[in-house]
Amino acid sequence: MAYEYYPGTSLLHRLDPRTKIILFLYIIVLVMLIQDPVGMFTLLLIVISLYKIAGIPMSKVKSMLIALSPVIVLFVFLNIFISVPPNARIIGYLGSQPVAIESLIMGLTGGLRFTLFVFFARLLTMTTSISDLLVALTKLRMPVEAVVALGIAFSSVGVLINQLGTIKEAQMSRGSRVESRNPLVKAKALISVVVPGIYLTILRGLDIAKTVESRAFTYNPKGRTTRKTIKLTKTDYAVIIVAGMLTVIVAVVVYMFKILHYTYTFDYILSLLTA
Amino acid sequence: MSEQGDVVINIENLRYKYPGKEEYALDGINLKVRRGEIVLITGRSGAGKSTLCYTLNGLVPQFFGGTIEGKVSVLGYDTTKTPVGFMSSKVGILFSEPASQLISATVEDEVAFPLENLGLSVEEINRRVEEALRFVGMLEYRDKPPYTLSGGQQQAVALATVLAMKPEIYVLDEPTSALDPIGTLLILELFKKIAKTEKKTFIIVEHKLEEFSSIVDRVVVMDKGKIVAEGSPREVLGKKAEFLKKLGLESPQVSLFIQRLKEKLGINDDETPISIEEGVEWMKKHKKIIEEHLNPPSNRIDEANTPRNVGKKIIEVRDLVHIYPTTQTVALKGVSLDVYEGEMLAIIGHNGSGKTTLVKHFNGLLKPTKGYVKVYGRDTRTTPMYELIKLVGYVFQDPDKQIFSRRVYDELAFGPRNLGYTKEEVDRIVKDVAKTFGLDKYLNSTPFSLSRGDRQKVAIASILALNPKVLVVDEPTTGQDPTDRRIIMDLMKKLNKEGKTIVFITHDMNLVAEYASRVVVLHNGVKVMEGTPREIFSRVEELKKLKLKPPSITELFIRARDELSIDLPLPLTVDEALSYFK
Repeated sequence: MAYEYYPGTSLLHRLDPRTKIILFLYIIVLVMLIQDPVGMFTLLLIVISLYKIAGIPMSKVKSMLIALSPVIVLFVFLNIFISVPPNARIIGYLGSQPVAIESLIMGLTGGLRFTLFVFFARLLTMTTSISDLLVALTKLRMPVEAVVALGIAFSSVGVLINQLGTIKEAQMSRGSRVESRNPLVKAKALISVVVPGIYLTILRGLDIAKTVESRAFTYNPKGRTTRKTIKLTKTDYAVIIVAGMLTVIVAVVVYMFKILHYTYTFDYILSLLTA
Repeated sequence: MSEQGDVVINIENLRYKYPGKEEYALDGINLKVRRGEIVLITGRSGAGKSTLCYTLNGLVPQFFGGTIEGKVSVLGYDTTKTPVGFMSSKVGILFSEPASQLISATVEDEVAFPLENLGLSVEEINRRVEEALRFVGMLEYRDKPPYTLSGGQQQAVALATVLAMKPEIYVLDEPTSALDPIGTLLILELFKKIAKTEKKTFIIVEHKLEEFSSIVDRVVVMDKGKIVAEGSPREVLGKKAEFLKKLGLESPQVSLFIQRLKEKLGINDDETPISIEEGVEWMKKHKKIIEEHLNPPSNRIDEANTPRNVGKKIIEVRDLVHIYPTTQTVALKGVSLDVYEGEMLAIIGHNGSGKTTLVKHFNGLLKPTKGYVKVYGRDTRTTPMYELIKLVGYVFQDPDKQIFSRRVYDELAFGPRNLGYTKEEVDRIVKDVAKTFGLDKYLNSTPFSLSRGDRQKVAIASILALNPKVLVVDEPTTGQDPTDRRIIMDLMKKLNKEGKTIVFITHDMNLVAEYASRVVVLHNGVKVMEGTPREIFSRVEELKKLKLKPPSITELFIRARDELSIDLPLPLTVDEALSYFK
């Protein structure tokens, strides 16, 4: 399920969605400033500990890490070709392409950064119900049509996944190799799943429009009641302020002392080993 | 049945064409409905019933476009001009597909959605949500996402959504078509409850005439965009039973039988029984004549259905247990059965009883958690799926969940190509199968442009292109009108006569009675009954406990046998019942 909500009563669940959006912004700031993979990894561990606080099973975390590790490897691999900074330390060659330590480290940071984003974003959706999220967007002055459309889109994911499952079974029953290990064969076979999927999604779009009209959406959109309410509490303010202060402190330290330049830890370990 | 007041729907000389279409979807409709009336609209697919419903809140013509002539006035408002949003606050439409009209994250949000749109206060919204969900019996599901519910539950939620809006007119467009017998019962009970307590105006579109005949005041029959019959249930379903049959509709079996029997025996009274109770009463009155003319023939329908060469065991299921890994649901709790070559086996049971789970083991889509399944001697746990699909072809319910090619030719070639046949072989197979289904002229057309019936044919044909020995057909009749159902089942029968074994899942007991040579009944993941249709349907009390019921004609004779104390045989169809009399 793409929008998974794990109901609970942890601190993260109780925070207003807007607070969580602000926390996300803090993370963005930190993630852009920190360059060293060790620093990034520390940040990732902090986010994972938030999962624990939110009461989300560690098995979920494990499966997410397993799913994302090929991505990290891909980042490292691709970065070999993307950037070789001047005065880089070359450790080998891939064909004619020099492989620099700096490229690998930068790639690692990039992969971890991506992983961190995914983890944090999913943490937010796992601890915020769709309706609360939508209310937050309304309060942030998003147009009501967009909010309703977003809500319907989220809710349709489950339906779509069911439909795709049925289509897959129907095609497998005609010999389509959608579960093949061979990526080329599988990709070709998936066309037979994607095409009906798109067709059905478009049809569903028409049905949704028909339903939305028949449930009086266009009666008076501006005068629409929002049933759920969200309120910023003392806890929210506390969290925003404390997290904000921490972010500023880390940002200042990193920026001023260039501690977390991307090869910082690597060089430090190297210096220890060669001392 | 209900008090009636002022005219709330007034349609005069209505004609309507969908955009880009040549034919009129509605071709001269005149209809007046009074407040408090309960009107049933019926007719074949494409007769214009849904289109007529959409004119009541303005979807036609405002949402769909097209050209409209004539007058449609609902509660005094001109629906061609009054905004749909406004009309929807007065006219609540329940659509036929439950899943397509549920759009929110939770059941609660779903019911609250229209109320938020209407700008009601938060307290009022919460009050109405709770009231409506309690009324339909879904309050405990308030936090669940709608797509996790069963079809009947989804439809109940959709009904709650409409109820909460408190419209003056309810329009229900085939509300039970996607439901199993239990779901249908549930919705029917709810309607009876609403009709009693609310005294609102109802327009109900349905094919299940028998079930609904007892709660409606008026029946309107449509065909090709026109109203062709109108009157009380007794007038239309009773007296005009023959007429309905000619239109391709299914009148209550009791009415049809007694109409025809009266003709055959020359009885000339004015009685038109439409329910089983009334039928039994009528038969009591004419007990003497019935006894005199009773002469049941010796060969009977299930013997006619039993293929001459029911042969060896080809599918063996032993102690089959299946647990779905993601939800840990135990769908099958130890089922054992055999399927014999050449038979036409029906698998029936409530939604969730394990029917689909069971048959998905036959082509390898699912593997047993415990126990085994052997198809032509091959254990499905160790045989790869592409071997099994050569033996067992699975026809899914919805052709639109399968069709994806640019040309019908490619759609039919899909299976054989996957199995690695040569180009020449594929070509031969495709042309053969297209001929059998009358699709040869469509080979170069795109399947999406065909009618639903033809798309269904393409889907079935593409399975037959694999030339399986066994055909599994999963609910081939959902959402189809009675005539289309017969067309598909007759096709299955033809294939059966040519030697294919057919296993079909259905909720339509009349079809089971007419076509099956043998029946297996599942309940809660367990096999509870097995036998010929006649054997199964005579066990009325047991079936009731399983929330299933035999065809009305069978039940009529069971009761008549008791109450008239005549030794009547049990018919499976109306034709068979008539053959008992000379």
